[in-house]
Amino acid sequence: MEIKADLNGTVFKVLVREGDATASGDEVMILESMKMEIPVEAPAAGRVTRVLVKPGDSIVDGQVLLEIDPT
Amino acid sequence: MTWLPEIDELHRREDLARQMGGAEKVAKHHAQGRLAVRERINLLLDADTFHETGALAGKATYEGGKLTAFQPANFVLGTGKIEGRKVVVAGDDFTVRGGAADAAIMGKQVYAEKMAHDLLLPLVRLVDGTGGGGSVKSLDDMGYTYVPYNPGWDYVVANLGRVPVVAAALGSTAGLGAARLAAAHFSIMVAQTSQLFVAGPPVVRYGMGQDLSKEELGGVAVHRSSGAVDNIASSEEDAFRQIRRFLSYLPRSAWELPPMNATSEDDPGRREESLLSAIPRNRRRVYKIRPILDAIFDAGSVFEMGREVGGATVTAFARLDGCSVGVLAPDPYVGGGGLSALGADKLARFVDLCGTFHLPVVNLVDQPGLVIGLDAERGGAIRHGVRAIAAVYQARIPMVEVILRRVFGVGGAGMTNAHGLNLRYAWPSGDWGSLPVEGGIEVAFRRDLEASDDPAGMREEILARMEGVRSPFRTAEAFGIEEIIDPRDTRPLLCEWVHDAYRLLPSLLGPWSHAMRP
Repeated sequence: MEIKADLNGTVFKVLVREGDATASGDEVMILESMKMEIPVEAPAAGRVTRVLVKPGDSIVDGQVLLEIDPT
Repeated sequence: MTWLPEIDELHRREDLARQMGGAEKVAKHHAQGRLAVRERINLLLDADTFHETGALAGKATYEGGKLTAFQPANFVLGTGKIEGRKVVVAGDDFTVRGGAADAAIMGKQVYAEKMAHDLLLPLVRLVDGTGGGGSVKSLDDMGYTYVPYNPGWDYVVANLGRVPVVAAALGSTAGLGAARLAAAHFSIMVAQTSQLFVAGPPVVRYGMGQDLSKEELGGVAVHRSSGAVDNIASSEEDAFRQIRRFLSYLPRSAWELPPMNATSEDDPGRREESLLSAIPRNRRRVYKIRPILDAIFDAGSVFEMGREVGGATVTAFARLDGCSVGVLAPDPYVGGGGLSALGADKLARFVDLCGTFHLPVVNLVDQPGLVIGLDAERGGAIRHGVRAIAAVYQARIPMVEVILRRVFGVGGAGMTNAHGLNLRYAWPSGDWGSLPVEGGIEVAFRRDLEASDDPAGMREEILARMEGVRSPFRTAEAFGIEEIIDPRDTRPLLCEWVHDAYRLLPSLLGPWSHAMRP
């Protein structure tokens, strides 16, 4: 399952690593846009399989940020 | 000697009309998870209130002067009640030749629009199929082509300034059907069983070389955020519930006051503790707007339109002490709450809608300004932005502004109109200016910072000084903000305001100089 950005901005914080388990609704990343810190929530419970960005990266609307294998 | 034989014949023909396309076609329709048009009308309206017009219109077959078969027109229209208020309802019958023009009695479609127009009744269109659009077969039958026109469109356009118009897509909706869906104040489509497109997959394949299924081209995944429709329904029953709910906030026409006597058991004096900490002290942290709306407006009264279209801006109906109002609010979770082109268009449309039907508007402001950056520029951000601001300025309805947090730039400034009861309140979390201090310091003090031995220290010193300057209390000293309020007082204040606002409405009733565009 791909978690995509829904805004243009930058990556502020990455809160998970590959292999971490997540519950539905957990904050996995914080993006920054228009001077605000905007959390990205996991849409489902699962395990993080890939993290594709790091803090400071510029990101665009629709870009894949991380992948989760839903349980 | 009476006319009883003719009355019996009338009833016989009405029964034939009620068969629609016949049991087999109706069963096929059901198998696709869709209701037949007469079932839809019954579910939509209050029980036993449907009064049909034009039931006898259709194609009759005679043998020896006797009627032997009857195919009703694929369009059912009449009046009925929704929550006790009369409306015109008009539905396509997909079981009769898939809703195409060759089976339509075009006059019925136009008549529905004319009825809503002349009797000043809200109109509900239940669209399914091409809604009377042409087909190549009918040209073949006719033996000639015609320059197309959209039937009844003079009424369709005029109605948008006169009565609430609602349209629901309850099947594959294309062409004229799609136009009739979109030319409404509130357009809704049903997930999975409906699609919306200008032209369907065969025409798109041929004309554009794109090979897409109906769902891929025009399903809810495409349209939940496209702006072509306002809301998505999870089922046909949900669609009818949303239609009834939408209509409950509006008057029956632009000449009547909006509903103001909804029974509300929610105490207008309710002061929610949660509002005191709803806005984070850390300026960079976002907050959830919907609990704030629930804390302010009558319990359960918030009804959003276009939640996923330009989602940084929330447009909703709600009630204050039983009175209908329009609500504008931010959702900082969506891109930090900046006003995007789609959000600006949605905002303009919503303000126009409230203006048309004289709903006072509550504007909860946390506006960092228009969205910036290359994508925004490519989308003509400033043009869409000023159009939204023009809509706010042209709205001749009372508006009240409650500043929750940020008011910056052109976008922020434009959120308040020049007419009517134009009150403004600020929460202590209010944070405003023409440019935000962060980033602004680097620009304004660039020379001083470059010349300094300790630019970091100087920057800290300037920032500390600006922290004092930016306090809302300083603005209040200059009467730059009229009132700073305890957030917990917001509901009681607005419940008081709404009655003041409603006092002004009778003098504003009637059509607006500026009728709404779809």
